[in-house]
Amino acid sequence: MKSISIYLSLILHRMDLPGPIHDFLLVFLGSGLILGGLGVVLLTNPIYSAFSLGLVLVCISLFYILSNSHFVAAAQLLIYVGAINVLILFAVMFINGSEYYKDFNLWTIGNGLTSLVCTSILVSLITTILDTSWYGIIWTTRSNQIIEQDLISNSQQIGIHLATDFFLPFEFISIILLVALIGAIAVARQ
Amino acid sequence: MMLEHILVLSAYLFSIGIYGLITSQNMVRALMCLELILNAVNINFVTFSDFFDSRQLKGNIFSIFVIAIAAAEVAIGSAIVSSIYRTRKSTRINQSTLLNK
Repeated sequence: MKSISIYLSLILHRMDLPGPIHDFLLVFLGSGLILGGLGVVLLTNPIYSAFSLGLVLVCISLFYILSNSHFVAAAQLLIYVGAINVLILFAVMFINGSEYYKDFNLWTIGNGLTSLVCTSILVSLITTILDTSWYGIIWTTRSNQIIEQDLISNSQQIGIHLATDFFLPFEFISIILLVALIGAIAVARQ
Repeated sequence: MMLEHILVLSAYLFSIGIYGLITSQNMVRALMCLELILNAVNINFVTFSDFFDSRQLKGNIFSIFVIAIAAAEVAIGSAIVSSIYRTRKSTRINQSTLLNK
């Protein structure tokens, strides 16, 4: 009885908002994601599809806020929407040409075969997700962890782990970013 | 139930990204669909870290690394696309030997 109450309090602790607001936001963001994903692939004008990619990235950032991961939400908003989407927009607008409006995505055999393969991937993933018993896994992982009140916020925990456990990947990421940007400037410069 | 809904959404984004990546005739649209795929994987990581790993947040940290790698890849990808456009004046994706001299 005590374990069941602890289990329920751990599950409910995650949802800071009341139930209907949480569900409404989830449905709203989910529909934004679905429409934005279709817009990236199916819109013919590449500027429209770049803007719908921006909509998808903003919806994902709000998903991260609902999942209690505030640092990753802020990083997504700053880096993905602020830098990567702007870079993609530069690439789209810099490479302009009258040939884009004839880029119809005609219904060829290759497109039909690819849509069949992608639908089968989606259906197999959905059946795997719905067949797995997630609450059994939550039960077994929860019983191993010490239940304490978290006095440290999410961002502070990420900072602690990046500085102690994951320090080497952190340094390697900075070297990778440096090398990639120098390489990109060297390629684009001539 | 909420976990499964978010995972189904990320699976949908992943398959839409794969479809767009294979069937796009424009290199910049292929880059955009690659970003969709990486974001679907990131949603998975963050959701699992929120549901199963609230103490150590390993999924959150790995998703930060994925975001950084995606930034580097978009920079290099757009540099390559702009240099291809400068030499050949076309960005159709079926002309794949464009960087040869």
